[in-house]
Amino acid sequence: MPNLKDIKRRIHSVESTMQITKAMELVASSKFRHAKERAETAQPFFNATYGLMADIAAEDPYFNSVFVHKRSDKTAVLLIVIAGDRGLAGGFNSNVLKMAQARIDEVKAQGGNPVVMPIGQKAVDYFARRDVKVLKTYDHIAEHANIYLAMEMAELVLDTYRRHESLQSVELFYTDYISPIMQEAHQISVIPLKNLADSQPKNRAVEYEPSPEVVFDQLVPQYVAGLIYCGIVESFASEQAARRTAMENATDNAEEMIDNLSLLYNRARQSAITQELTEIVGGANAQG
Amino acid sequence: MKTFLLQIITPDKTLFEGQVVQLTARTTEGDVGILADHTRYAAILKTGALTIKLENGETRTAAVAGGAMKVSDDRTTIITTAAEWAEEIDADWAERSRQDALAKLEAYKDEPDRHQRANLKLQRALNRLRVSSNYSKTLI
Repeated sequence: MPNLKDIKRRIHSVESTMQITKAMELVASSKFRHAKERAETAQPFFNATYGLMADIAAEDPYFNSVFVHKRSDKTAVLLIVIAGDRGLAGGFNSNVLKMAQARIDEVKAQGGNPVVMPIGQKAVDYFARRDVKVLKTYDHIAEHANIYLAMEMAELVLDTYRRHESLQSVELFYTDYISPIMQEAHQISVIPLKNLADSQPKNRAVEYEPSPEVVFDQLVPQYVAGLIYCGIVESFASEQAARRTAMENATDNAEEMIDNLSLLYNRARQSAITQELTEIVGGANAQG
Repeated sequence: MKTFLLQIITPDKTLFEGQVVQLTARTTEGDVGILADHTRYAAILKTGALTIKLENGETRTAAVAGGAMKVSDDRTTIITTAAEWAEEIDADWAERSRQDALAKLEAYKDEPDRHQRANLKLQRALNRLRVSSNYSKTLI
């Protein structure tokens, strides 16, 4: 029969863990609401920028911007990887990091040269321990991310792309927020602007000032910044949702454990009482 | 007066969505005015003021921090990194941001990147201050 004191101690320890998970769940839910709102308001901005660029690219079948067409026989790939600043969020961090790592291995297997730009403490830590070149790191920025910071990142990325002929493509790894219980790691191509190069020419007459090329080139940084910004806010919303779910499960598990332990405790207590009674009765009978 | 659908979109919010009679904006090529049934058109916006005229004759002015404008058949879209209505601009905050930008301009003299960024920040702050003082309706 288990020791009463031991069970009591275990119940206490599970209870205090439950208090922590419960608190984390509440914090994550309140952050999540805010993050989701931000992710939703960023969407129209990105769609509008993308739509305008797609229009320009579609209108001119011979569109010849450095960003649209793949530069052949080059080997380096830049991966922008967005993860969280903290753990305890289920598979949130590991899913996106695993996906990025798989791509890195693939690039290496093809004789290429992967370079990463990690965003979020967990991504920074992860790539610091791996054999891979790091362009620049950003941590603890997701919660208060703004478009200007994303612009800065976009300019760094575009500048690197222009300066290094060997850079073949830029890819973004982030976590797409689908629903409060569903988040999925995603990989999208930032440069070359793949979908644009494939879009069908519509041949519509649009007046561009000063010229289509200038408008397009001015839009590219805004587009890349929008992409990175959306990636950051989507990932942050996903992180909070994932943490809330993980902590909810942990709280539920703790409750179940406490229930089981309480049952065990009561049984042990009852059997101790029964035993005591049997001993008293046995003793009384022996005397009588 | 004939109206058209206008959207002013920033990453943080959709500042405006509705029917307007006229739109005036500052592009890299100069000020342009857009009325209903304008031809398809796209241009890059400079940091500056943007004025709209509503159906009831009311005009509103916003400070926009650069971006792009696109006129299509069914709507006109302004995409910008930041936009505020003149009466909603916090002049004190804009002033602090102006001073901060000036300090940074001084501090980053030898770093072209940061210098450039500080310069843009200064432009935004000056634009906000100008729009705020010229266009915001007095409450008195």
